[in-house]
Amino acid sequence: MRIDAYITEYARKTPQQIALEEGKNSISYSFLNEDIDAIASSVGDFGHCRFAILAESGIQYIKILMAVYRSANIAIPLPIEFPKFSLEQILDNAHVNNIIATEAQYSRYGEDFFGRFGTVLLVSNDSSVKTLRKNRVNEVNNPDLRLVLYTSGTTGTPKGVMLSDRNLVANAESIIEVLGISSGDKGALVISPHHAFGNSIIDSHLMAGGAVRIGNMNFMESTFSLVESGVSIFYGVPSTYRILLRYPERFKRAFENVRTAASAGGGMDALTVKEIKELSPGIEILPMYGQTEATARLAYLPSEDVGEFVDTIGRPIPGVMLDVFDDDNRQVGPNIRGELVARGENILLGYLDDEIATEKKLINGWMHTGDLAQKLPNGYFSLLGRKDDLIKIGDHRVNPREIEKHIENNTVVSRVFVVPVSHELMGTAISLMVIPKEGTEIDTLFSFCRKNLPGYLCPREILFIDHLPLSENGKISNRSIIGEYQNVKNSV
Amino acid sequence: MEHIKNDILDYLKDSSFMDANIGLKDNDSLTQNGIMDSIGLLELMDYICEQYSIEIPEDMLTPENFDSLQGITDLIVKLAK
Repeated sequence: MRIDAYITEYARKTPQQIALEEGKNSISYSFLNEDIDAIASSVGDFGHCRFAILAESGIQYIKILMAVYRSANIAIPLPIEFPKFSLEQILDNAHVNNIIATEAQYSRYGEDFFGRFGTVLLVSNDSSVKTLRKNRVNEVNNPDLRLVLYTSGTTGTPKGVMLSDRNLVANAESIIEVLGISSGDKGALVISPHHAFGNSIIDSHLMAGGAVRIGNMNFMESTFSLVESGVSIFYGVPSTYRILLRYPERFKRAFENVRTAASAGGGMDALTVKEIKELSPGIEILPMYGQTEATARLAYLPSEDVGEFVDTIGRPIPGVMLDVFDDDNRQVGPNIRGELVARGENILLGYLDDEIATEKKLINGWMHTGDLAQKLPNGYFSLLGRKDDLIKIGDHRVNPREIEKHIENNTVVSRVFVVPVSHELMGTAISLMVIPKEGTEIDTLFSFCRKNLPGYLCPREILFIDHLPLSENGKISNRSIIGEYQNVKNSV
Repeated sequence: MEHIKNDILDYLKDSSFMDANIGLKDNDSLTQNGIMDSIGLLELMDYICEQYSIEIPEDMLTPENFDSLQGITDLIVKLAK
């Protein structure tokens, strides 16, 4: 079954039930279903074609996404918080000929941006569709493909994670079970809907026949009011909670009637858990772990164990198997370090147009997460860093080597090194160490980063160094870079 | 009033949130025009609190007060009294 088919079912069974809310607007299952039909009919002559979606977070985005599903096409949501050039990199990678955009995004990005598309459809606020041009290009491969979510696409090589209807439904079913989501629940969507976490909130609540309230994290009072509007399950990355907890009294009032505070996207820390518990003693805190490649979720930490096991990822969600393998893909026992691997119906089909990356990710039916881990005697798993160089910055997975290359290639500088540094709200932010050359200016580097990287990647500081941050065996790694950074700081 | 507005505008330009040559109208949305994201807004808030020696109560953190040059200017004038 496709996700949008659940909406049709609820439109029949509980037509008046509210499905989506945004600001002063809300829409029932019945009207949502009609609007999806209307948008889907305008792409009825397409079938199994790739459609980029360029829409701000909101009811309109969800209608368009579901309409692409309903017309049996393939959705490629564009993360609009990324700078334009990142979106263009994603589009280059996705070989996509068709785009559906909201009118707001069309006027923001301008005709130049849309020049590359053979098909351009604009959806207005009343869900009517204007066809600017049409040129059908069918997808020949990937018969089960329904959704492509981009991961680590900020700089460098974006990777499109291919997901099927079965992936989406299976993961939503697991999440519904773990969180006990019912038609009476209202979930808060204040993070981006264009990535795996936000997408899973939409899918699981609509599949349960409940409601999603859509907002953002830009203006705190608006966010707190959103929570107070009857939200029963709040979702955030750890930094979402840290930002809200800056206002403890307001947090306490807003979260009084929230049943569950769920997190994903990064490890929840003990201090944040403690602060939430103190302000909302009755709330169930539910940290979850996952990857885009697993549609969204892989594991969760049962609420009763949050106190004792907050530094673990807990146990697999229903329908998922987790294990730890050594370098020869053999299972290892408890307390032995290896790579966390996963299988289940939520595991990706592969990476879009990238068989080599797919072969490395999926080996004998097991998805290799790239996370180092060990099994604990009680069946829980704890994470021990990454197998590759990827790091979490502001709860986003990024490749520091690609950020470095991107800055080196576009500014006057000899070498750039990204240093993860702790940050009060984001958890981890970045600083840069730079080997300058003639003409290197700190202001210009800052300015470049601000304009060309999302906010969480704007460096906290830029330090000049005069030699490569090599390890003892002459290599450059996150570890050697952090070591050099500490040397520089200590000598100041 | 006008000097506060110009000061905020200078901050946005100097910190490279926006290009110096881009025209921003007083009531244009900072978030919807891609000038500010949630992390950028936190930085802007810190700047304003320090620059004008004010504290912004959380119930004033709304789009009306914080999503445009005019809103921010009015907010500062109100709080700096």
